[in-house]
Amino acid sequence: MLLSNFLGIPYEFQWSVLWEAPYHTWLMDGLLMTLKISAISWLFGILLGILFGALRTVPVRPLRTLAAAYVEFFRNVPLLVWLFFWYFGAPEVLPEPIRQWLIHHGMEFWSGVAGISVYHGARMSEVIRAGIQSIPKTQLEAGLSSGLSVSQTYRLIIIPIALRLIIPPVTNESLNLLKNSSLAMTIGVAELTFATRQIETYTAKAFEAFTAGTLIYLALCLSIAYVMNRVERKFAIPGLIARAERAEH
Amino acid sequence: MRRSGVLLVIAMLIFSLSGVSAGEPTLEKIKRTGAFTVGTRTGSPPFGYINKKNEWVGFSIDLAQLVHKNIEKKLGQPVKFELKESTPATRIPLLYSMAVDLIAGTMTDTRARRENVDFSLTFFVTGAQFMVKKRSPIRGVKDLVGKRIGTQQGSTNERALRERYPQAHLIVFQDQPSAFTALTQGKLDAYTNDGIQLWGLKYKAPNPNDWEIVGEWYTYEPYGMAMRKNDSDFRQVVNVALMEAIEGGEYFKLYDKWFGPKSETPYPLSPEARTFLMMEVVPR
Repeated sequence: MLLSNFLGIPYEFQWSVLWEAPYHTWLMDGLLMTLKISAISWLFGILLGILFGALRTVPVRPLRTLAAAYVEFFRNVPLLVWLFFWYFGAPEVLPEPIRQWLIHHGMEFWSGVAGISVYHGARMSEVIRAGIQSIPKTQLEAGLSSGLSVSQTYRLIIIPIALRLIIPPVTNESLNLLKNSSLAMTIGVAELTFATRQIETYTAKAFEAFTAGTLIYLALCLSIAYVMNRVERKFAIPGLIARAERAEH
Repeated sequence: MRRSGVLLVIAMLIFSLSGVSAGEPTLEKIKRTGAFTVGTRTGSPPFGYINKKNEWVGFSIDLAQLVHKNIEKKLGQPVKFELKESTPATRIPLLYSMAVDLIAGTMTDTRARRENVDFSLTFFVTGAQFMVKKRSPIRGVKDLVGKRIGTQQGSTNERALRERYPQAHLIVFQDQPSAFTALTQGKLDAYTNDGIQLWGLKYKAPNPNDWEIVGEWYTYEPYGMAMRKNDSDFRQVVNVALMEAIEGGEYFKLYDKWFGPKSETPYPLSPEARTFLMMEVVPR
């Protein structure tokens, strides 16, 4: 398609840059890197979130304070600043052999994972705390009176129910995590946004490159939302979590 | 060094919505508004930067002032000289939104960029080299195998390394300060950019003697001033100003001021560069 004078300045569409060598491999590599860094960060983020979200509700005050400190410290500083901290700051205090090893084994990537998972872990833990606190106190009391310990009650009753309740906000948070992974390009991680910029700087085909990037993010996010929706339905506990269509009788 | 398509696209959209006419020739616009606006850098010594006395100065700015004088001569009326900050990402959009009339900074003239803007004569030539810690084994492009080399995304030298020296392990940053910090922390074995910019960086570093600039130029970076496309009357005024400066020796005085032995960034003018500049000057 040729548009010799698009919006006042010369511009010629050339969608083929998206599937020509070497640009299509850049897009693919960028996509894989985005998936890799998001998946690993998500896993750590969820674990941190469950741990600190639960700690914020336990009847032990120092633990609650510790968890609150973690959340407020990490969620109230911009992610971009955290990424710089985990890449330029934190590794500098490591013992030299470990630092050197990290430098030669993808320090950019692991700093990115650390930044994203700790930041999103703090946000996830708020979601999980909200889930836990929405469960009536009587559940905890029932668990305790049936002879379970506090940690057993949490592990076997409270958290399994809370995890079901919080699927929609966790989906939200996961989509944010995926999109925020694009910030890792500032510390040299060649993910999807990096790849689209790279194509744009090589070919000057900004429209094509950013359209491709937009569509890929959109497709990824929609698939995650779809899967999470299925998960929500599959694990729903009939009668406990009232769904509109099952709310009768 | 970089161009940004996103901003260009946004500028094009705003521009088409606002109905501003792209058609007005630059000289007519300057005559109508009584101001000549130049986009330049704020942190690229010695081409365009804020000095310790908080003044906005530089080699490119001094050259733009010569262009300014020539515009006044051509129009036969006084015109205000204004500066605006431009970055690699914003400079082309600034031109097309009519916010600036000329970009005079550190922009490399390339064939791809000529698709979008017109360039003046080349006013400075440099080429990419490497900045390394003193006593580094890296001496040039032959020593890059498996080494971690920092670059800036979208720069002409990043592209050259990727295409011609794939053995190097590139770590691509979005700006020079990030890459330089990574270099000082030992996360990179070398950082590459245009030689003159590396000299600027070295002299601004806390301990200039810790750093070495090594290697032959492995790219060619001719700096030009950029302007809106298809405006040959304006381009003529810009080029004549540059030619007269080279011919009359004013260019070399400015060169000495910014790059001479007593300046902050000594960078001797090679005989080849001098010849090249002289040969750009066409007869009267």
